[in-house]
Amino acid sequence: MNTRPIPVPPEGARLQWHLDQPFRLKHLVIAILIFALLILTGHRTEMDRMVIMTTQAVGNLVGLNDESQVVRGLSKVADSMWPPQLATSEDIGRMNDFNPDDLPWFARVETRETTTQRINEETLQLESATEITEVLYDPTGYVKTVFAKMIETLEIALWGTILAVSLSIPLAWFAASNYSPNRVTYTLARGFISLLRSVPELIVALFLVLAYGFGPIAGVLALGLHAAGFLGKFYAEDIENADKQPQEALEAIGAGKIKTVLYAVMPQVLPQYVAYTAYILDRNLRMATVVGLVGAGGIGQELKGRFDMYDYGHVMTILIAIFLFVFVLDQLSARIRARMI
Amino acid sequence: MSQAPQSMVKLSAINKTWADGTRALNSVDLEVPEGQFCVILGPSGAGKSTLLRAVNGLVRPTGGAVHVDGVELTPANERDIRKSVAMIHQHFNLATRASVAANVLSGALPDVSLARALCGWFYPQQREKACHYLERVGLKPEHLHRRAGELSGGQQQRVGIARAFMLDPKVVLADEPVASLDPQISRDILTLLKDAARELNATVVCSLHQVDLAREFGDRIVGMRSGEIVFDGAPEEFDDQRLGRLYQNADWGDGEPDTFREDTPELEAAGGM
Ligand SMILES: Nc1ncnc2c1ncn2[C@@H]1O[C@H](COP(=O)(O)OP(=O)(O)OP(=O)(O)O)[C@@H](O)[C@H]1O
Ligand SMILES: [Mg+2]
Repeated sequence: MNTRPIPVPPEGARLQWHLDQPFRLKHLVIAILIFALLILTGHRTEMDRMVIMTTQAVGNLVGLNDESQVVRGLSKVADSMWPPQLATSEDIGRMNDFNPDDLPWFARVETRETTTQRINEETLQLESATEITEVLYDPTGYVKTVFAKMIETLEIALWGTILAVSLSIPLAWFAASNYSPNRVTYTLARGFISLLRSVPELIVALFLVLAYGFGPIAGVLALGLHAAGFLGKFYAEDIENADKQPQEALEAIGAGKIKTVLYAVMPQVLPQYVAYTAYILDRNLRMATVVGLVGAGGIGQELKGRFDMYDYGHVMTILIAIFLFVFVLDQLSARIRARMI
Repeated sequence: MSQAPQSMVKLSAINKTWADGTRALNSVDLEVPEGQFCVILGPSGAGKSTLLRAVNGLVRPTGGAVHVDGVELTPANERDIRKSVAMIHQHFNLATRASVAANVLSGALPDVSLARALCGWFYPQQREKACHYLERVGLKPEHLHRRAGELSGGQQQRVGIARAFMLDPKVVLADEPVASLDPQISRDILTLLKDAARELNATVVCSLHQVDLAREFGDRIVGMRSGEIVFDGAPEEFDDQRLGRLYQNADWGDGEPDTFREDTPELEAAGGM
């Protein structure tokens, strides 16, 4: 039995209470360092200039000061971009498939008079010559061109996705540790997947344009290769994480690896595969508008061409088309998703 | 020794030591004649699953030989032999998101080409057989296109049995096929299994936890404990005293387990049809 008295603090002893501030010098130093780093990088990325210029712009808009580089630049662009270019006129003399009885809708033939000044070689007098050319004026001609380019963009995205899926299925097989034939194939497949994933589409497209020339081939390949890396990784991980029990059941009757994956793994992972593939299609539709900037086909290529020729009216039409395209796409995918859930 | 009717499954001095040093099977000898319904009993961890899985090579023994229908199991002929050795699992092991039909047909996969498997284009005889067995195990036509995971446990095991019989197996390995089912359904399932096996004259090796079911369905009972066979005889011989000792917690395994076996008659005598 423990009969010793319970110890009590001696009379007059004071307990040591401490409640320090939550921050100490160490924290202050860290905060100063982070602040200094932000100042440095902010200056390197000209964030200070950005603040000044934006302030000027706002001041200019509300009438406080009368000079702003930003507003001037923007209004210059806006002036030249408005109105968007909708029509086309083509010199009939240069068209070799012109058929006056079969004009496009709303199109009409117009005559244009062009006056040129030139020196008459005999009299050495400056005289003006008037030349009359016939042009085919189509009020919606450029809208049609842009529409056709939009369709091409869609097709690039679609084929990029098809290519990605068909590449990533064998890739996923070799990159799934439980089905890859051996360590070497596994490591190679994983390495290849990382490589594909690490290079952005736009950079791949840049090089593919050198290899395949301007046009949709480079676009499809760029989108497909990058997405194949993404899909290969996720497909493979789903195979690895799939429930082992049904796989064991088919292994036990000697069905073989491929058939086991088909009948014991695929049913489990298919809903996820559909979700990944839908994501890739969505992403490719957006990226397909961009890869054209480096010449890989689609609407982006048209945009780049017009931009370089200072045809800002055309550029405006293209931008509106891209906006409408992405907007409709978002609505569609939201509706499809709502229906699937 | 007289040449008795050849045993369908023959394990000779099988050892299995797992990587962590666990001795799951300790020099096990077992011969199961054709057509026998052999029940394996024993406490958890006795090595029942390991033994069953050694028969089709899902577990590679560290020593000894396995013969199925007189052919020694080797890595080279493993896939061939597995075609004639079906397996029924405690957790049914169905592809739960796939249809009942796809699950049953998958039991015939070793017999179809890859192209057919890819399209799900099984032979008409195989489709008929799938329907036949599904009817045989008591399912209805409307179950065909249901997802396997939506069925009850008992129904899922029925699908598992139908799948197991798609290749006309010579041997059926059943690892606690009714462990997660209620007693009445367990009895129904084992009846199905036993009848279907008898029709094909297939040999069944079935591990169970329910002693009453073992006595009712087994042609022969094999008792296992700590990786060794400690009882082998007809159900009538497996009396309550032996039952008690098989499942007893007392350290009895390192006594003389073989004294248990010496008074059991020859296997063939106990296991005749
Ligand atoms: N993959 C494994 N790795 C290591 N040890 C294992 C493995 N599988 C089984 N064992 C061990 O082998 C022994 C026998 O296991 P087994 O699964 O054959 O027993 P069982 O009789 O089927 O038991 P239960 O009735 O619980 O299913 C156990 O001690 C178990 O822990
Ligand atoms: Mg077990």
